[in-house]
Amino acid sequence: MNTLFFAMVIAYGFGVTAALAGGRRAIGRGLVAFGAIAGSAAGLALGATVIAGGTAWTLSIPELLPLGGGFALRLDPLGAFFLVVIGVGAVPAALYGWGYSAAYEGGRASLRLLGAMFNLFLLTMSLVALADNVLTFLLMWEVMSLTSYFLVITEADEPPARSAGLWYITMTHVGLMMLLAAFLLFAGPAGLGGFAELRAGASSLSPGVRNVVFILAFLGFGSKAGIVPLHVWLPRAHPAAPSHVSALMSGVMIKMGIYGLLRVTLDLLGGGPAWWGGLVLAVGVISALLGVLYALMEHDLKRLLAFHSVENIGIILIGIGAGLMFHRYGLMPLAALGFIGGLYHVINHAAFKGLLFLGAGSVLQATKTGNMEEMGGLIKRMPWTALFFLIGAAAISALPPLNGFVSEWLVFQALLGGINIPVPEVAVVMPLAMGLLALTSGLAAACFVKAFGITFLALPRSAAAGEARECRFSMRLGMALLAAACVGLGIAPFAVVPVLGRIVAGLGGLPDTQAAFTLSVYLQTPSSLGQMSPTLIAGGLLLLMLLVPALLWLFRVNGRRRVGDSWGCGRVGQTARMEYTATAFAEPLRRVFAEIYRPMRELTVNFHPGSKYFVESIKYTSEITPVFEQSVYKPFLDSATFVAQQVRRLQAGSLHLYLLYMAAALTFLIFVARWWQQ
Amino acid sequence: MTSALFSQLTTLGSSVVLLFGIVLLCRRSLHAYVEAFRWQSLVLSALVIVVGRFGNAPDLYFVGVVFLAIKGIFIPRYLERLAKSVGAESESQPYVNITSSLVIAALLVLSAYVVMRPLVLATQLPTRGGMPLALGLIFVGLFVLISRKKALTQIVGFLVLENGIALLAVLGTFGIPLIVEMGVFLDLLMGFLVMQVFVYHIHGTFESIDVEQLNQLRH
Amino acid sequence: MKYVFAVSQAAFALALAPLVVGFVRWLKARMQNRRSAPPWQPYFELKKLFGKEAVVSENASWLFRAAPYVVFVSTVAVALLVPFLFVAEPFDTVGDLLAVVYLLLLGTFFLALAGLDPGTPFGGMGASREMTVAAIAEPTIAVAIFSVALGAGSTNLGRIVAQTLANPANAISPGHLLAFAALFIVALAETGRLPVDNPATHLELTMIHEAMILEYSGRYLALIEWAAALKLTIFLSLLANLFVPWGVATTIAPLSLSVAAVALLIKFGFLALVIAVVETRVAKLRLFRVPELLGVSFVLALLAVTSSFLLR
Repeated sequence: MNTLFFAMVIAYGFGVTAALAGGRRAIGRGLVAFGAIAGSAAGLALGATVIAGGTAWTLSIPELLPLGGGFALRLDPLGAFFLVVIGVGAVPAALYGWGYSAAYEGGRASLRLLGAMFNLFLLTMSLVALADNVLTFLLMWEVMSLTSYFLVITEADEPPARSAGLWYITMTHVGLMMLLAAFLLFAGPAGLGGFAELRAGASSLSPGVRNVVFILAFLGFGSKAGIVPLHVWLPRAHPAAPSHVSALMSGVMIKMGIYGLLRVTLDLLGGGPAWWGGLVLAVGVISALLGVLYALMEHDLKRLLAFHSVENIGIILIGIGAGLMFHRYGLMPLAALGFIGGLYHVINHAAFKGLLFLGAGSVLQATKTGNMEEMGGLIKRMPWTALFFLIGAAAISALPPLNGFVSEWLVFQALLGGINIPVPEVAVVMPLAMGLLALTSGLAAACFVKAFGITFLALPRSAAAGEARECRFSMRLGMALLAAACVGLGIAPFAVVPVLGRIVAGLGGLPDTQAAFTLSVYLQTPSSLGQMSPTLIAGGLLLLMLLVPALLWLFRVNGRRRVGDSWGCGRVGQTARMEYTATAFAEPLRRVFAEIYRPMRELTVNFHPGSKYFVESIKYTSEITPVFEQSVYKPFLDSATFVAQQVRRLQAGSLHLYLLYMAAALTFLIFVARWWQQ
Repeated sequence: MTSALFSQLTTLGSSVVLLFGIVLLCRRSLHAYVEAFRWQSLVLSALVIVVGRFGNAPDLYFVGVVFLAIKGIFIPRYLERLAKSVGAESESQPYVNITSSLVIAALLVLSAYVVMRPLVLATQLPTRGGMPLALGLIFVGLFVLISRKKALTQIVGFLVLENGIALLAVLGTFGIPLIVEMGVFLDLLMGFLVMQVFVYHIHGTFESIDVEQLNQLRH
Repeated sequence: MKYVFAVSQAAFALALAPLVVGFVRWLKARMQNRRSAPPWQPYFELKKLFGKEAVVSENASWLFRAAPYVVFVSTVAVALLVPFLFVAEPFDTVGDLLAVVYLLLLGTFFLALAGLDPGTPFGGMGASREMTVAAIAEPTIAVAIFSVALGAGSTNLGRIVAQTLANPANAISPGHLLAFAALFIVALAETGRLPVDNPATHLELTMIHEAMILEYSGRYLALIEWAAALKLTIFLSLLANLFVPWGVATTIAPLSLSVAAVALLIKFGFLALVIAVVETRVAKLRLFRVPELLGVSFVLALLAVTSSFLLR
């Protein structure tokens, strides 16, 4: 296993070196991609070995960081699972990036920076999953955030990218501060220690401290995961980054927030009172619902996908929150079911969201726009991209027989298990959560009918869309890998669920669920509340799909087909202006949820000067109110700006004055230190 | 067996009474409001008589008949007449829209269950299944009062609230002493008459019974 | 042998489906004092459509041609899981109620995409409305499933039927009745009946399902129409057999099967009558009042859960 670890580090190092060497052509970019692919594949293999072996792998290099326990790594099955998730997301993304970064050959962005940061980002993200003490964890966490910041601002010449970077780096540092505070409180006066010591000391903490640690960790990791209302950076940063980076950030990086949450709450703190799970569940439900609602109103393809990441993080948190609640009430098999559902959705989301972002990237390169209203008809010009995007869209809408269905089924079953909670006042949140989760998945299906239908179907709505060309082979190959993962994870849950059961076994006293999840084509919940077999459903659908046309042929159904005009009430010649737009598609839902959107519409009609029966032009604008930006962030930013304005007065430009400040501060600190000693 | 049937019947009856309260929330016209209230009162009277029959409280028969006469026949008819004389305005723009109102009503009933649970567990009454529903109806009545704008629809809300109190009283005690019951009735009738006078005045002043207009009085 | 029975049950449902639709039409016409085509008219319509050549819009892609098959196949797959005459024994554990819901959503998803494919305004309008209705019907279905699963301790259809048969008192509990009412409203919405959608009209401003499939003809249309009829049959049999399971055959024997068939036809007849009455009495709702109707059904479902949940 040491070999695999060092192979991973060396491969990423090779990628960084190759990028800095600065090859712009296919070979140079290929070497960068090769480093990333080899590194993440080695990481995947390392994770798989640890999961298969069931024993943790450790490595400690105290000399590397002479503080707080040194540089300590330990890979247990939980970390290994996230290492596998990184591999699943990163191998196709890197392959795709090989072709995608060709667009930067002309110098629109620094290929050196992109390649180096990409590899460094993957390395540090892997090390987050490996870290075994607070210092290593926080350090890798911070470097991961910084490298991803540089990736977000790859196209730094564009003002939106810079603004997105600013939002991102601010939010991630707010999160980091919370994490620092949480770990400082957790570790106590002993200083930053190893995770093993924290785990041992967790039970001696007072309940109050435990609660504060949990809240801070939830907010800190939540800001990375993108929970509502800390999600504001996602719809800005994801569209700004290059698409293979968005795929990684959205598919993989935000999951590190989930990793951290599980590590701290379940593993280190060992679970807590019921309201912890309740809070996670409630935030999950709100994130899922608001994420998909805002996605519906979004007509920029990548922003839409970014809002869906908020939704899917919500679904993951619903599973984890339910698991934490069951854990509190000692219903261990059900708790395991909740966590398994959440973790299954983690890897599923890495597959289909990665796939969708890669598809969106291809569309973006082909049409030079992210605005769905200027797309259309791409299914004929980009058949492969369309097919892969369709698979991703069906998977994220939880349609059988793809992977999203399996994980949502598991989460639903976990919620159904809520009837076993002995306190009805608590248990009653479960049907509510179930209803809202179902609403979320229905809305997600509507949203992806919109996303796929408007982007790929009907007639092209702009000249660029009409001349779009299919993307490069390496990009298609990257998408094909992820599409295969979506299908595979969907039809083979029997191979995944027992493994996930092994991963959560032992965390916070969870038992081994081997007995409940036996290896068979049937998926059965431990409380035997439900049973189904995605494998057989997939087989049945496939069989019927072959059988029905065969039967039609056998019964001599008229198989002739004639191509004709579309029906349009007698008009001749169809243009793209007659098509339903994305705005129009989402209009009924905007009316239904008007209380949440608070839409503002403006209609300006210019009449012909001669007669008001002739209209010269109609202008229609509609907007929805971004509630959180206005009610949470704007007041905060306004007051911060105000304080900054006041502080500016201190800055007078005189060097002597500045020296005086320093002297005053120094004296003050000395007095404080003196007083503190007593 | 009779006790099991009794408890099923009261729970079912209370559910129906509550449902008519919720139906109120998804209707707009005043006529529909009055109609829902009429049906609710009819079911409530029937339920009172059922409780009287199974609970061996013959005085409840009398209460049931009075309910039927006043709430099932007199008040609805009077409301219709009132509506005719001031012009029935429908509840076109309530403060909370209909879908949200329904969801809020569901949550109110849910909270009623949670609030009543200790009481339900403590009693052995066969009628305990309906008690949370009665409290839920009280909440729903209050919500109608808060969220609807027209004076007449608000009156119906008040009447529904009163129905909820009566339902809770019947289920919880198998009929409070007759004299108290009658006192509550008189209160209700007085309240109703006072409100009716108000409605005439509001209508006379503003040519409308939209209580939002009352804002104009503040100066 | 079990497999043969289960498959032939689905085939029976598939064969019965056009008759169910035709019967509802016939009843409705009778109530409105109209003369009607015979109840078996839909069979002739299917035969006619299968015999005609298909006209496909020049703008349509392969998705448009594949969608009818996906819709038909996913609906037939659901029919294999649902108890019509008896519990579909070997397939019962393959898919539970949640799988049924999501398989039906699969068909809706592809049909909506196919509506967008030719690029006509009607198709887009239909797709948009269909997805809106499908999405806001979803919470009711989930909570109703929760309520049903609560009583039976399982989401598998066979277990639910068996549990209700074993405890007949459950069938008249308020929770059960409320869940039935909730699911009935949803069934009207999902199968495109009044007051949500009007299956008899081609007036573009009011239609949902018909607008979406306006471009289809020939065998494609036949498959979609047949799938829609089967979907109605599936919903009716879920309503009939999950909530009033008496008559469902527990053993596969000629006698019990014929009893089950008679019971099913009686239950279908009753439900069809209710639908016909509703469609005669009620006008179509404005699209933006549909959420209010589905809101009522959601409240019913939630009350169903609470009343059977918090009083245990």
